[in-house]
Amino acid sequence: MNRPVTIRVQKVKKNRIRTRLFIFLFLAVVLVLVSFFADQIVPYDPYAQNLSLSRQPPSAAHFMGTDQYGRDVFSRVVVGAKASVFSTLILVCVTSVFGTLVGTLCGYFGRGIDSVVMRISDVCLAFPGLVFALAIAALLGGGMSNAVIALAVISWPKYARVARGQTLALKNSDFVAAARLAGDNSVQMIQRHILPNILGPILVTAMLDIGTMMMELAGLSFLGLGAQPPMAEWGNMMSGGRSMLQTYPWLVLSPGVAIFLTVVTFNLLGDTVRDYMDPKTTTL
Amino acid sequence: MKHYAVKRLLQLIPILFAITFLSYGMMRLAGSDVVEQKMENTSGTVSQEMIDAAREELGLDKPFVIQYVTWLGKLARGDMGVSYVSHKPVFSTFVSKLPATLLLAFVSILLTVVVSIPLGIWSAVNQNKAADYVIRTASFIGNSLPNFFVSLLLMYFFAIRLNWFPVISRGVSLQSVALPAFTLAIAMSAKYLRQVRATVLDELSKDYVLGAKARGVKFSTTMLNSVMKASLVTIITLLTLSIGSLLGGTAIVESIFMWDGVGKMAVDAINMRDYPIIQAYVMWMAIIYVLVNLITDVSYRYLDPRIRLGGTEQ
Amino acid sequence: MKKILAILLMLCIAAGILSGCGGGNTPAASGKKKIFVFGDTTFNAENEEPDINPHNAYSGWPCVRYGVGETLMKIADDGTLKPWLAKSATNVNETTWEIVMKDGVRFSNGKKCDAAAVKACFEHLIKVHERAAGNLKIASMKADGQKLTIVTKEPNPILMNYLSEAYGCIIDMETGIPKNGCVVGTGPFVATEVVTDNHVKLVKNANYWDGKVKVDEVTVRTISNGDTLAMALQSGEINAAYGMAYASYPLFENDKFKFSSIQTSRCFWGMVNFHKENPGYRIMSDPAVRKAIAMGINKKGFVDVLLKGYGYTATGAFPDSFAFGKGVSTVSYDPEQAKKILQDAGWVDTNGDGIREKDGVKLSIRWLTYPSRQELPLLAESAQATLKDIGIEVQINNTKSHNTVRKDPKAWDIWVSANVNAGLGDPQNFFDTYCLDSSIKNSGGHHSDNLEKLAVQLRSAFDPGERAKIAVKMQQELLDDNSYFFCSFLRMSMIMQANVTGLTAHTCDFYELTADLDIK
Repeated sequence: MNRPVTIRVQKVKKNRIRTRLFIFLFLAVVLVLVSFFADQIVPYDPYAQNLSLSRQPPSAAHFMGTDQYGRDVFSRVVVGAKASVFSTLILVCVTSVFGTLVGTLCGYFGRGIDSVVMRISDVCLAFPGLVFALAIAALLGGGMSNAVIALAVISWPKYARVARGQTLALKNSDFVAAARLAGDNSVQMIQRHILPNILGPILVTAMLDIGTMMMELAGLSFLGLGAQPPMAEWGNMMSGGRSMLQTYPWLVLSPGVAIFLTVVTFNLLGDTVRDYMDPKTTTL
Repeated sequence: MKHYAVKRLLQLIPILFAITFLSYGMMRLAGSDVVEQKMENTSGTVSQEMIDAAREELGLDKPFVIQYVTWLGKLARGDMGVSYVSHKPVFSTFVSKLPATLLLAFVSILLTVVVSIPLGIWSAVNQNKAADYVIRTASFIGNSLPNFFVSLLLMYFFAIRLNWFPVISRGVSLQSVALPAFTLAIAMSAKYLRQVRATVLDELSKDYVLGAKARGVKFSTTMLNSVMKASLVTIITLLTLSIGSLLGGTAIVESIFMWDGVGKMAVDAINMRDYPIIQAYVMWMAIIYVLVNLITDVSYRYLDPRIRLGGTEQ
Repeated sequence: MKKILAILLMLCIAAGILSGCGGGNTPAASGKKKIFVFGDTTFNAENEEPDINPHNAYSGWPCVRYGVGETLMKIADDGTLKPWLAKSATNVNETTWEIVMKDGVRFSNGKKCDAAAVKACFEHLIKVHERAAGNLKIASMKADGQKLTIVTKEPNPILMNYLSEAYGCIIDMETGIPKNGCVVGTGPFVATEVVTDNHVKLVKNANYWDGKVKVDEVTVRTISNGDTLAMALQSGEINAAYGMAYASYPLFENDKFKFSSIQTSRCFWGMVNFHKENPGYRIMSDPAVRKAIAMGINKKGFVDVLLKGYGYTATGAFPDSFAFGKGVSTVSYDPEQAKKILQDAGWVDTNGDGIREKDGVKLSIRWLTYPSRQELPLLAESAQATLKDIGIEVQINNTKSHNTVRKDPKAWDIWVSANVNAGLGDPQNFFDTYCLDSSIKNSGGHHSDNLEKLAVQLRSAFDPGERAKIAVKMQQELLDDNSYFFCSFLRMSMIMQANVTGLTAHTCDFYELTADLDIK
């Protein structure tokens, strides 16, 4: 390939990526908005039982059928978005922010802080996740917030490591040296030079993590450790309906499809963000 | 290298202390104990004296720190204690369940590698053509389905509908490991595939590939030599992350398929508050973690001379 | 390159197919042998069933269920005792019993099972099994040919009921407890291999004293996961299953399978917390509230809809198939009346949130239950909805550690559990465990002088008819002031392939595999 063509191709690629970015960002925002306004937009009360209507297949009146208590599945799925999407976003935000800060400080200051924090993160990583989640659930009771806590404690090292690695790489770079010569102190260094540059990979990691975290939360709810009935959450809806996979499949498939579509959307968004940050690895 | 490895292995000791102490503490704080759980299961009505006697026999009436120290002491002498539930020695129980988990891990990894490397490369080489889209879509789907869902679907289709595989495992055999391994492999392949593809694409865009093509080197040779090597590095990184959870036994999958491995053992032990087994499991996980990290680091150094010849230590 | 990839992919697929070939298949009659595979959810150490030795924990249950051991008497579906290994049991005086063994009873190894063998067995039992020893209160025994005389330490009207418990399986003590756990009993099947938490292998007892055993081999497999159990039965890997979840029943409601169902005495019921230090005392001590709660629970709706009819509504603590379950009465589901009662008692919704208040106390109750019995969470959610309709708020605490919580008198208002209330065909155990001052599980602190008096009477009544009358009175005590309420009884089902015969469900679920078992 010749050089000029390369530049033009890259420009076209970048435009295409930008379009995709907007599309997926839009979809993601729609999902978040749906979660936010879930209570307002549901056709039925997701917790209203009506035993005479139990286990109805999907129909005009009940778009996704009803569950064993006669509750409208579609309403529960929409409200479940609130639990699943919000909790996941909070989880990812908290762990990424905390992990990044800790990792950056470690990478920048090194020495004592570094070894202590790295050992702590080792313990967090070496401790089997499931045992920890089960223990937290037994300890603090079930519930989404406790599931989020359990996953947060296990997940922050990931970001810390990325941040640390990136910081270490940057620490020895030229412009950082220049800034130091210019008299910036540590805080300013981190704030102005390091953080902005590592935000890219962190953001990508975070975006790609959303899908995984959503499934982990669903998994915990599936095991009965996260959302407790009668709360509507996709994981525990699937768990509750799992025995009826063959007889009343819509009970499992509806939340399953919801998880799937949401995760796919955020995964696609994450991929596009990564492509945007680094067009060389674009997957046009 | 040796010095480094030894140093890392020594770090294992404080980690083990911390982890076992934490797990013991959390389990105690979680309340209830094996005597109560057993009573629960049998809805038995036993007198308070019998309950107290049972507790005393297991040492559950003593304060938490004393229990922990007692356990440590026994461990130092090589005695891992007996399971509170089955009264069988912990070590032999653990060792008897290990092969099942190892087999499952091995077969899952094998399936994953066999699927994701060829498909990942194929996808990269045919970038943006139909094959690429199909494979990427499949990968997305695999990445977005929770594994408990996948296992139920697989069981439904392959065991009931098609009758190709048994629903319940008949001992540790290839036949029985197929479905659980497929379940795990699907999720793992989806992840690995994308990474392989990205790595291969990355390598393909490098100048040396153009150069080799220009010089008339057969594409396949270039592929095999350098691109594969690069993908291997990626795969190894991913394996590090996966192996910890695989060797810990993927509890959900093991339970659903009644696969008698270490993960299922752990979940059952936690539910029953069977402390000795939980401690053994937790230690095992920590050991794997340190060992795997060590091996990865060492193989990195081996595979990538840039690091070996003097980069910053991680 | 492409060739290499193609070959790799083909190898994959080939490996997959090869490893899968000959997967699940039906273990029916292979050749001339009849092999029966039974799926059970409870044969594991967690359920205190680590093996089939009746003198160990609860392992008597698999011993009798899988046809290895048999007891002196059998508990019939109406709760009465029928002869099994024993021909008769009479009590000579309050502390002496005379048991006459049937003639011709033999262990599977050919040895005679006479009074001496039974005595040896029981001696070992009370030596090693604390719970049995506590129940039986045996002081001494004498064996003479077919006659066994038992003297108890104190009057024990239900000695024979206790001896019909699974730990009362008669095993050959000369063989004792072998290392492989395969105890020798008198039953139609002989255990050849016992693996805890996994399976039991059995062969037919060629020396069976009570008829011809039709099936040659049996394997009992532990499958604790409900979905796996259902799928295993569907795919034919097991011939029958015990412990199937209701949700899976529709899969088997066709010509390929059949059900054997019966009402059991496993009851889903609740007790009220009367402790004064309970923050909810002001609520629960109000008889109007308790009555309204009893009237606000839709038992029929619960059974018909949530359990899809797989249950029986309950009035008292015992099913009406038992003599002591007949003739009790309580309030029925009447939300309008319940609202009126609350209104009249001063519980009014002043702030329009749908929940009543009185003197600043919100009518909110904490419902404690646990998940291991599938019906309980369903019942809790159903009650939560119907009670909300009459203005009572229910907070559900569905936890595995419910036993810890119920011991804390401040932590709950209603405790709902599942219990086999008359597992031995006798009502005494229920009251002794849950309703008296001396009860271990009277966590609600319920007290009634009248009940205590009746309990003393029950403990010394030897005539079953009289026992029934007293038990009815005691239940009425509990129901009249709504301190206890009973929602439904479990309908226990065994599901089997259509060609299986001789597998019948019984009220007392000790009896599963028998000589009648056959695969056509």
